[in-house]
Amino acid sequence: MTSNFRAWPVVLALSIVSAPLVLMYVYLLVDTVTSTAPGSLIPYEFTLRHWTFLWTPVPGRPDIWRVALNTLVFATASSAIVLSLSSTAGYVLSRLNVPFRRFFLAGVMVLHAFPSVTLIVAIFLVLQMVGLYNSLAGVILVKAALDMPLGIWIMKGFYDTVPWEIEMAGIQDGASRFTVWRRLVLPQVRPALLALGLFAFLSGWSEFILPQVLAPDNRVQVLSVYLAGLIADDNNFDMALFKSVGVFYVVPVILLFLFFQKHLMNIYGGGTKG
Amino acid sequence: MNSSKKLGLLLITPAAIVVVMLFLVPVVLTAVFAFTNMSTSTGISGGAYQISPNALQELRDHYDMPSVAERLSQSGFAVDEPGLAALGKAGIDADIVTELRGHIGETFAARRDAERAIRNLNHRPSLREVKQISDQFNRSIMNARYDSKAALLAAVASVMPNLSGAEHQAIIAASYTGWTWTTGNFRRMASIPGTQRSLVNTMVYVAFTLTLFNIGFAMVLAITTFYMPSRAAGFFRGVWLLPRISPPVIYVLLWKWLAWDTGFLSVFLGRFGIHSRNWMLDSGTNAWVFVVLINGFVGASMGMLIFSSALQAIPRPLLYASEVDGASRWQQIWHIIMPQLRWPILFVTCYQTLSLLTSFDLILLSTNGGPGGSTEVWALATYHTALNNYAGNLEYGYGAAMALVLVVVGVFLSLAYLRLFNYRDLVAKPLIEH
Repeated sequence: MTSNFRAWPVVLALSIVSAPLVLMYVYLLVDTVTSTAPGSLIPYEFTLRHWTFLWTPVPGRPDIWRVALNTLVFATASSAIVLSLSSTAGYVLSRLNVPFRRFFLAGVMVLHAFPSVTLIVAIFLVLQMVGLYNSLAGVILVKAALDMPLGIWIMKGFYDTVPWEIEMAGIQDGASRFTVWRRLVLPQVRPALLALGLFAFLSGWSEFILPQVLAPDNRVQVLSVYLAGLIADDNNFDMALFKSVGVFYVVPVILLFLFFQKHLMNIYGGGTKG
Repeated sequence: MNSSKKLGLLLITPAAIVVVMLFLVPVVLTAVFAFTNMSTSTGISGGAYQISPNALQELRDHYDMPSVAERLSQSGFAVDEPGLAALGKAGIDADIVTELRGHIGETFAARRDAERAIRNLNHRPSLREVKQISDQFNRSIMNARYDSKAALLAAVASVMPNLSGAEHQAIIAASYTGWTWTTGNFRRMASIPGTQRSLVNTMVYVAFTLTLFNIGFAMVLAITTFYMPSRAAGFFRGVWLLPRISPPVIYVLLWKWLAWDTGFLSVFLGRFGIHSRNWMLDSGTNAWVFVVLINGFVGASMGMLIFSSALQAIPRPLLYASEVDGASRWQQIWHIIMPQLRWPILFVTCYQTLSLLTSFDLILLSTNGGPGGSTEVWALATYHTALNNYAGNLEYGYGAAMALVLVVVGVFLSLAYLRLFNYRDLVAKPLIEH
């Protein structure tokens, strides 16, 4: 923009500061398909042997495809729950006259700000008591519940921007409030649904603490727990393997992000946890 | 007409149920569990009653009843009428039973003594018979498990008939293996040195990460990209978003690769004759540098996005006018940009303080609190106490008490932060009334 300032010193300074980050991600990709001699930083050959984990399971670990499927189920199911329940609850809080509306709103606001990871001890004990420990269903429900206040809050925000005139017109024409919501309002907030669904999916895909604590078993392991277990195992140190599994794990995230960047920015820019 | 009310309740109920069950109930239960001594050894459901050596110790020390403990421990083997009758049924030689009848009323503290006496009978019972006979005379209640108070008291009464009510209560309390209510968690928290250490660590962690990266570096990123051509700005914003969108496990792996003793730093610095080592874990200071960097690189992006969008709202003519008037870049930043960022900075500070206080996943994955607990923050200490440690005895009750501290701080801060940012119009009344 401003013409009397030169941009290049700033670009240069920021390039230097960003270099470690770029370096880490470039080497993440490069190391998965090459071999590098110990004590060297330049790879000497191209190879695919770091990717053998795709067809031969790492000894003592479950099959990677099974783990990937668990992760997919976990992320999809928790995202679906968040999406369906917050699209209804958000509408109620935005538009309908329910008793205790202010109370609900205040509750959602507080819970949205509240750091949910502090509840992990109590949730762990509750799941043990009701027998949902070490099951995908349990950790899906917990993940969905903890993401819900954020989801309700975001959906309420989007419903607030839908013009009242649309609904008034629907009511004038004799539609019920439910039909108005379903047929007139919901299509208006489709970008929000897409954004929230993706956000919840990515958040589930990345989640580590909840599955690690609530469902660590091999049967129900997700990719984050699988990879963390692999790294923590001192007997099989193989950085290239870790990185290959890591790329396998992170590629869907990067792809979704590149394709839907504009939608997701609505949520990332609005101040989520982290 | 109340169709809006009915529909509203119908639509909000599922969300309300899920949030209450898995969000509000755990908040309450954290407080409840904080007042118990639940652990791996007590279990989380009920318990049984067992006069174990620990229970005797507690009777002596805690209830000041050494004589009761003494007698409970000595309740051993006794030759009595029911035992003799059972022997007859078990098919023991009648002569032995008759001879034993002569010893009626004798007691032995330990199985060894009882068996020696039986072996020395004139009829010389076989080794197998000695076992059978001693079993029938076993009146010891040490280490036996009873499912109910009544069963325990009945067994105690069989060896010690004349106990007072207070002594009964003491035995019941001392022998219970399940969890009990206690305020000891908080007394312990106030007295052990680990508490103070995690508190100091938490403050160091939050203060450094927040000021250096979440606010400081985020502002640098927002302002520098603001002045850049849009293509370059997009590239840098994208690069600095990578840590946020990468799952924590893979993001921390990259840092480990950088810092590991065969990793990038070691190899690179090796060219200059510096010894290879694990840069992340070789000293407390280095561990802190990495913890702050790892969290800060993630945290900077949130501030960057929020500050950037605040800067976009500055009217362009204002900037051009200041340039025409000869303002330097610093003057422009200080007098035009900074005032615009006041509220966003307050917002990010509040938000990140809360989230840094309670987040521990990146520290868990990178240093795991090490070396020697020097980066063990409060939230991580909670995790280690209640959910995962090397000793294997997970103290759920104490962990819940530690978590409760965070929950209280969290509730308090989030309420305060909502007061600060509570826009009245967010709760405006609906316009269509039914």
